[in-house]
Parts: sequence; C-alpha cells; structure tokens
Amino acid sequence: MALARADLESLLRVRQLDRTLTTALPQVDPGDERALAPSGISALDARMGGGFPRGQLSELVGLRSSGRTSVLLQTMAAATARGELVALVDALDMLDVGSAAAAGVDLDRLLWIRGHIVTNQGLCRELNQRAIEQAIRAFTLVLQAGNFGLVVFDVAEAPADTVRRLPFTTWLRLQRMVEGSQTACILVGGEPMARSSAGLTLRLTAAADTPSAHGRAGHKFGAKLFDGLEVQARIVRARAREQEEAGVALSTSA
Amino acid sequence: MFSAGSASSAVCSLVAIAQEFSPRYERHRDDLVSIDVSGLTRLLGPARSIGEELRREAAARGVRAHVAVAGTRMAAVLIALASPGLTVIANGEEASALAPLPLALLEKYEVRSTKYESRSDREESAAAARTSDFVLRTSKKWGLRTLGDLASLPTADLVARLGHPAREWQAIARGEDIRPLVPLLEEERFEASLDLEWPIADLEPMSFVLTRLLEPLSTRLERRDRGAAVLHILLRLVTRETTARRLELPSPMRDVRALRTLALLDLEAHPAEAAIDRVTIVIDPTPGRVVQHTLYTRAQPTPEQLSTLLARLGALMGTDRFGAPASVDTDRPGAFAMTPFATEHEGKSRDARAERGEHVGQSPVPSPQSLLSALRRCRQPVPARVAIVDGRPVRVTTDRRGFPGGAVTHCAGPWKTSGEWWVEKSEVRSTKYEGGGSGGSGDSGDGGDRTALSRTSDFVLRTSTPSTPSTRSSPWDRDEWDVSLSDGAVYRVFRDRHADCWFIDAIVD
Repeated sequence: MALARADLESLLRVRQLDRTLTTALPQVDPGDERALAPSGISALDARMGGGFPRGQLSELVGLRSSGRTSVLLQTMAAATARGELVALVDALDMLDVGSAAAAGVDLDRLLWIRGHIVTNQGLCRELNQRAIEQAIRAFTLVLQAGNFGLVVFDVAEAPADTVRRLPFTTWLRLQRMVEGSQTACILVGGEPMARSSAGLTLRLTAAADTPSAHGRAGHKFGAKLFDGLEVQARIVRARAREQEEAGVALSTSA
Repeated sequence: MFSAGSASSAVCSLVAIAQEFSPRYERHRDDLVSIDVSGLTRLLGPARSIGEELRREAAARGVRAHVAVAGTRMAAVLIALASPGLTVIANGEEASALAPLPLALLEKYEVRSTKYESRSDREESAAAARTSDFVLRTSKKWGLRTLGDLASLPTADLVARLGHPAREWQAIARGEDIRPLVPLLEEERFEASLDLEWPIADLEPMSFVLTRLLEPLSTRLERRDRGAAVLHILLRLVTRETTARRLELPSPMRDVRALRTLALLDLEAHPAEAAIDRVTIVIDPTPGRVVQHTLYTRAQPTPEQLSTLLARLGALMGTDRFGAPASVDTDRPGAFAMTPFATEHEGKSRDARAERGEHVGQSPVPSPQSLLSALRRCRQPVPARVAIVDGRPVRVTTDRRGFPGGAVTHCAGPWKTSGEWWVEKSEVRSTKYEGGGSGGSGDSGDGGDRTALSRTSDFVLRTSTPSTPSTRSSPWDRDEWDVSLSDGAVYRVFRDRHADCWFIDAIVD
C-alpha cells in the first residue's frame, strides 16, 4: 500500500520531525484517495472525484429540508467508520443524536460542541451574533488541535445576516489553518459562506421532478407516511469555475 | 544487621539505621537488613569500627541488633543470624567462618534465586520454599550437619543429584553472593516549589513560574519513565491561606507545554482570591504510556492535544457544552446523553477494524446511494399555532423568526407517543429556562409545565438559553405529525395532549 506524501509529511509534523521538509505546501493529487474524505455515498463520491478534499474548506449548502443534514450525517458516519475522529461545531445545537446513530455515526468518535443560541432574538440579536463568534472560536480551537479527520461547522439554521456579519478574513484565517493538513472541513449553511479555491461547494436542492403524486416537489409522502426527500446535488468547483449542469440525484428514506 | 527483638518498630528502626549509614541497603525481612558499607572506611575507620558504630546506633534506638561485617553480603547475613553481638570476618575467610555453622541456619534465610525472577512474587516465594526445603531435607538425610559439610561436597555430583538449585545453596554455604544487592529505593517525590519575590495576581507571570517549576519535574519524570497522572497546584496567598487545585489528567503526560496549558486554564477558571507569593507543584507519577508509532495508519490527535483542546473548549463554552453524544434507552423523542470525549482512540480504532475483518489502511466499503432522512432537532420546541380541519393540520404559523410557517401541502400522522406516565407530577421539577447546562444528560422534552406554555409571550421572553426543560424524567404524551409546508420545508410537529398546545419539534433535512 503506497503512502501518500501528504500523509507522511503530516505524520512527520505531528512527531515534530519535519525540519527537513520544505516550507512549501504539498500539492494534493486529486487522484490520491488519501487526499479526499469520501462521503460514503457512492454516486456523490464519484461526481466529487472521490470525496471532499482534505486540507481545504468545503461547503454543503441548501435550503431547509434539502437533505443537507442527511448527507452530512452520512459523511460523518463514513469518517468514523474509517477510524477518524470527527468534530461537529453545532452552532445552533440542532443535532439529533438518534438520526446520527441511525446513519451509522460512531458516537464515541464524535466530538460534539454545542453552541449557545437564544431561540427568540428580539432584544437578543447581539447575543446570537456573539454565539456565532463563539462557535467560530471553538472551530478555530479544533483546527489548531489538528489531526481530526473531519471537522464540521454547522450554521445551517442561523439567520443569513448573522453569518454575513462575520469578517471575510475569518474564512481566510481558517483556510490557512487547515491547509496542508489531513483534515476535511465542511461548512454547512443555507447559502455559500466562504470556500477555499481548492474546496468545493455541494449545493442541495429538492428535486423538481418528483414522480410521487403526493406532496410538494422533493417531498415524498405515501398514503399515510412521510417517505423521505428527493434531493438534487450539484457540485461547484471554484478552480474550474464550473458548475455541473446535471447534478446527482439522491433519495432519502424516512 | 539482624534484630534480635520481634517488635514491629524494629523494622523501621533497622531501615532508619541503614539509611543513616549508606543509601545502598536491602531489606531481606522485617528483622534482617544488609548494608553495603564499602566506602565507609574513610569515614568511620576499619570494619570493626563500622560494626561498633552500627551497634551503638541500634542501641540508641532501643534495638538489640546482631551485626556482622564480612567481605560478602551472604556471609555477613548468615553470621548475623548465627552469632550475637558484633562479628567481623576478614576478607577471604568467609568460607572458613561459615563452615562450623549448623545447616539449619539456611532455613532461617529465604533465598530468592535469580532463576525465578520472571515469575510473580508469590510463585517465586513458593518455588524457592519448595526447593530449599527439598535440598535441606535431603542434605540432612545424607548426614550433613554444617555449612562446611555442604560446601565441601563436589559441585557436579551435588547438582546431578539435587538439581541446579543445590549449586546456589552450596555457594551460600561458602559465603558467596549469588546475586547483587538490590537497594531499597525510596519513593521519589516529584515536587517543586518557588517563593516569589513579589506576589503575583495575573496569569501571565504565572505562566513563567509554572514553566520554571515544570521543566525540571518533566526531566525527572522522563528519567524515571513516568508520566504525570495528577497535578497538584498549591498556591500560598498573601493572606497566608493556601489554595490547592487538583487536576486529574486523562492520560499520563510529561510535556511541559501541555501541563502548563492545562494548569493555566484551570487557574483561569478558578482564580485565586488574593495575590500569590509561593507556588508549589506536586505530581503524582504513573508509568508512562507505551505507544508504538506506525506510519500505516492515519495520524490522530494525541491525548495531550485532546486534553488541551477539551480544557480550552471548557473554558470557552462551559464544560457541559461539549462531549461525545450517547443514545439513551428511552422512547422519549430527541433524548440523548453527553459523555466525556475520550482522549485515547488508537486501540479502539484497531479493535473496531479488526472486528470488521479489515486490514490496516483498508477503507470501508461505502454505503449505498439511499440515505436515511435526518432530523434537525429544536432543542427548545417552537410554539406554533396550527389550524385544524377535519382533524388534520392545514396551516402552521409561529412567532419565531426563521419559522414563517405556511399552509400545509401534505401531512402524515398522527402518531401517538407517550411515556414515563408513572412519574408523579409532584416529582417533576419546574421547567428551568435560565442558566444551567444540560449536565450529564438532556432531552428535548415536550415544552415544560403548563403554566408557562399557556402564556406564550411569557414563555418566549423568559427563555434565555437552550437548556433542557427538565433534568429529571417527566411524562410526555403527544400526537406527532410530519407536515410539508408551503415554505418548502418538512417539519415534525406535535400536539401536547396535556397542555393542548402545538410545537415544532424538528426539521426534516
């Protein structure tokens, strides 16, 4: 089994034996499977070229009920199945542990950091802004510790204006911290926040051509049960400046 | 040196006497100590003077001691057991001095053969006892009466008849040392103190003080192949009070930076009440971790890195806001527990992969395309107004920003769920909406007591943190629906049957 160069250098850095390494960051070979964090969804991984790139900030965006959490939990399950440690900065404390366990996430390998969010903003708008900033600091601490296989920053249900008020340098700083490492970072939100040039954005939308006669497009309702979601996933890569015309169709089951 | 008395206090006295004369001493039994006195001639004089000094010291401590000084440790031990008072044997005359002594003297001495060093202490003692008993009984049958009789036998013939242990017994009878002296090491105390010229009240100068104290301790730990299991920080304040902090470390560590960081984070969370003028650090050592590095598995955070990270997260978020989630054995929707996040995962990773039949480095097979629908749980259920037509919800609205609601395009339900009805209402604490954390467990609950729910505006205004409604079990009884709204989202809503109120419990995403 061939060792990836980046993997070896990362190990040497951990052991503080990297004095002979050059300061230039290694170029990640897209064909190197160890440079990518597979999501565990074969069709999606095939379109992404193997998975989410390690050492880069990637995004998982979409509207509510577009399948973001389902894809995210599957990715976390795949990471823990590989023996990696996963950190989830849950800024709004919305993780459903039952869903995570059902998706196959090894809960012992999941570091769950729960944010403080005031449910009613009103006079507490500043409190929520501070809560997001606190979540960013927790995110930073996790990246500084290093060697997590997957780190997720989840602000999917945060108000868009709260996230937009974060300085743009925040994401640049976080990108610098994760660059060159073996950590895959995923930002989960309602809209794109920031993404590194080598990262990718996975945009999820409800499928418009749901054959089911019941329910809104993308929502599968049977005679008496909610059957799941029909999701369309499109991959946007900044370097190639391209967005796939046809995405990947995914289906969730309740 | 042999104590003729049987008082248990003689044990401590013999050891104390030995410590006064030499750091190299061995305690054979409670009443028998051997001391390496080589090198004391320049201090105390010839061997007889050393012996007399030992007897004087023993007498001063109220111990009747038999002292023997010889060229070999074994000869000195046997002479001390056999002869009262002070006996001095010249170098080279050990065998002749021991020759007239009775063979039964060997029964008084427990021999720990080097051959059994690999066994446990209990097995070692039992094996040695059986061997010595066999050799001595056989020797008596042969008519041997003295150590000289045993020493004069041809060695090869003796070994051929009694086995290899007989060789050691013969060497003892000749006064030869069969193993080197094993000195009794005092338990080393890892402690360092520093008196400050000027009292300090801030953490920044404390960082330098801790580094100065921890560096030599870390070096000593490394020499002894030990790690710190517990870190005690004793701070003497200007008010003459002493504040003690105790940090239990998740894994043995001796890295100065990690220890200093953990200590500073703890002091930051528990600041001293006054300025500090003396800092003492005491470390409880433990054997270090044996870690076998491998380049074939992905690097993971070390226990030191994880410990530091968890300490920093605790200082930032609160110790109850992070950890590893755990499922609980209940039907309560959204129930979970928080457990401490482990700092050691290496062994578990290998074991888990071995159970799956995977080889090191082999990636698991990805799962099929179909996903399970996941929920996003509203830790504090969102109060909602639901319009019902023919028993089915047709419209859901809320006053919560971010939950505009809308017309119900389709719904599925109801599913009736209830539980813990056996919990008496009087046992249920009132809903906690302010401060506090989830502690060791948490669940989403169903919205708390009826009084708060009936006053919706009051419920909303009083909610300050997304804390759990109750830290103890409380009954729930609800009708759940999955509804698809015109805003494009699918929600899990429920009606609390007791309070007759509707809530949004989760978002299907």
